[in-house]
Parts: sequence; structure tokens; C-alpha cells
Amino acid sequence: MAIFDEELNALKEKVLKLCCMVEVAIRDSVHSLVERNSELAKEVIKRDHLINALDVKIDEECVKLIALRQPMARDLRFITTAMKITTDLERMGDLAVNIAERAIELNEEPQLKPYVNIPKIAEITQEMVRDSLDAFVRGCSTLPYEVIKRDDEVDELTVKNFNELVGFMIRDPKIIPIAIKRTYVAKYLERIADHATNIAEMVIYMCKGKMIRHIAPTES
Amino acid sequence: MVIFDEELRLLKERVLRIGSLVEAAIHDSVKSLVERNSDLAQKVIEKDHKINALDVEIDEECIRLIALRQPKARDLRFITTAMKITTDLERIGDLAENIAERAIELNDEPQLKPYIDIPRMAEITEEMVRDSLDAFVRGCSKIPYEVIKKDDEVDNLNAQVFNELLFFMIQDPHTVSRATRISYVSKYLERIADHATNIAEMVIYMCEGKIIRHMKKPGE
Repeated sequence: MAIFDEELNALKEKVLKLCCMVEVAIRDSVHSLVERNSELAKEVIKRDHLINALDVKIDEECVKLIALRQPMARDLRFITTAMKITTDLERMGDLAVNIAERAIELNEEPQLKPYVNIPKIAEITQEMVRDSLDAFVRGCSTLPYEVIKRDDEVDELTVKNFNELVGFMIRDPKIIPIAIKRTYVAKYLERIADHATNIAEMVIYMCKGKMIRHIAPTES
Repeated sequence: MVIFDEELRLLKERVLRIGSLVEAAIHDSVKSLVERNSDLAQKVIEKDHKINALDVEIDEECIRLIALRQPKARDLRFITTAMKITTDLERIGDLAENIAERAIELNDEPQLKPYIDIPRMAEITEEMVRDSLDAFVRGCSKIPYEVIKKDDEVDNLNAQVFNELLFFMIQDPHTVSRATRISYVSKYLERIADHATNIAEMVIYMCEGKIIRHMKKPGE
């Protein structure tokens, strides 16, 4: 079974690599907005096909592993979870592209006010992505539960950002198109956080399927 | 292999069942908005757990089938695709729930304008879900390329709704809060269409993985 262990390790590494690429895409897309750097935004858009290609490759690899190695129980659950997780990661990549697209549009207009909430939301979101993937590759712990808790923080900041912008819009209707685009960026980040939450939930589910009797009911 | 055929048939039935639950959720959530019926919206929210439960049930069944029957090639790809499709369907259910939540809020306020494009968007997205699932269970006899085309229609309607609402907001800033909520409903529908497109793409991928040398990709 040494070959199979090696294959599983290689799979983990590929999933982590995909995760890194997605993290970079999120970080760069938000930088391109905050620093008004449209060149960087174009880079994010251009690089997205690499994320898509790796998603397909991991998917193929998982199907191959299941078919050839016929894994049981824990390993099978791990591989099917990997297939689902990469779908979420790939969509986070798409959302980073959406942020980059809005950044290019917003960078052409005068800046409404400095970006305060959005970098904060982005920071928490990136942590959530990283921790949910750590939880997946490092085995079961309380980490995915923490990811789920932080999603509320992101939701609250998104609402706060929204209310502030509505205030601006009511005072000065001319800025509505710009303000709305900014609410969209926050929404995209909130959706990335939702994907990270989905990953955390899948990891919990994977762990419970494996050791359902060892998890305290308070955690469920 | 007769038992396995029967198991696959039951799996297809379950996927169709979650599909029709999701279609009904989209339909009812939009109806609750258009007809200002908050009781119906409440029902959509209450019924969402059924969709979630069926998603978990299908997932468990897929893992069981892979582990016990060790399916090869076509059947294996079918089962792994079923697992991914139900994840998308479950999330469409969550978005229908979001529409119902916004409907309850909007029904408490005076109506801004009659809803015209939003019901049309709902209709198209329901069709998209139905057509992609049809293609999935009918074994690729009809590959769902049109679903992907319809996504553009939904995107255009979303942009149209947004521009109209922008006009309302600029004319009367007091409508900003309502108009933004309506724009969210439109966004949720656009995301539902994206999920339906994802399902269609996965079905196409499944079908072409099987018959890749016999297919021409139209319009590429």
C-alpha cells in the first residue's frame, strides 16, 4: 500500500497548491482595488485558467485513484471530499476574477473613500480559506469549527459596509453606481467566505463519517 | 449486476427528486415576492432542511455504491458527478431561501414597482435546472449546451434589472434600501443560473469524458 500512500500524499499536495493559487488570486484582486493597480487586476484575470486546469487535473486524479486503487472507508471519503473541495476552490478563483473586474472599473473613477472594511473582510476570508484547507489535509481537529464561527464576522462586516455605502448613496445619488460596485466587491468576498465555510463543513462531515462515535454531540 | 442497475436507477430518482424540490423552492420564493405572500416565503425557508437532508442522503448513497460495488469507468464517473451535482442543487436551495428572506422584508414595505424581469429570470433558471438534470439522468442522449447559452440571457436580465433600479435610486434616494434588496434578489437568481450552468458543464464533462471522440463542440 506504499504506492497508494504516496499517491494520496501527491493528491494532498495538489489540493494545497490549488489552495495557494486561490489565496494569491484573492489577495491580488483586493490589492489591485485598494492600491488602484489595474495591471495587477488583469494579471489575476489572466492567471485564472491555471486554477481551472488544476481543478480538472485533481478531479481526473481522484477518479483514477478510486477506479484503480478501490480505496475503502476513510481513504474513499477523503478522495470524494477532495473532489468537492476543489470545486469550491475553483469558484473562489472565479470570484477573485469578479473582484478584479470590478477593481478595473472602480480604478477608472474617482475614489469615493479609502477602503477600510474591504481589506478587513479580505483578511478574515483568506484566513478562513487557509484554515479550512489545513483542517482537510491535517486530519480532524476543532479548526473547521473556528472557520464556521468566523463566517459570522464576515457577514457582519459585509452588512456594515453595505449600510455605510447606503448612507453615502442617500446623501449623494451621483455616486450610486460607484457605491454599488463597492457593495458587490464585499459580496464577492462574503461568497468566498461562504465557500470556505462549505469546505469546513465538508471536512467535519468527512471526520464524523470516520469517527462519528468519538465526537461530542455539542460539536454537532 | 442487476442489483447495481437497480441501485443506479434509485440514485437517479433521488437526484430528480432533489431537483424538483429545488425547482419548487425557486418558483415559490419568487412567487412569494411577486404576490407579496410572506406565508409562502416562510414555507420555503421551513422546507429547506428537506433539501439539505436529501443532499446528505444522496452523498452517503454514492459513497456506499463506490465502496461496495466498485464501479468502473462510466458508472464511476456518473456517481462522482451525482455527488457534485447535488452539492450545487443544495446551494440553489439556500439561494431560494435567501430570496424568500428578502421577499419577507420587501413585502413589509410599499411596492417599488411591478416585478417583470425577476419572474422571467426565475422561469429561465428553473428550465436550466430541469434541462441539465434531464441530460444527466438520460445518459447524455441530449447534451445540455443550451443551458449554458441561457445563462447569458439571465446575465442580461440581471444587468437590465440593475440599471432600472439605479434609475429609481438616483431619482429618489429614499428607495435605495428597497431597490438594493430587489437587486439582491436578481443577483441570487443570477447565481442560481450560475449553479445550473455548473451542473450543465459537469454533465457535459461526464458525457464527453465518455464519448469525447464523437462529439463536436458547437460554437467554439
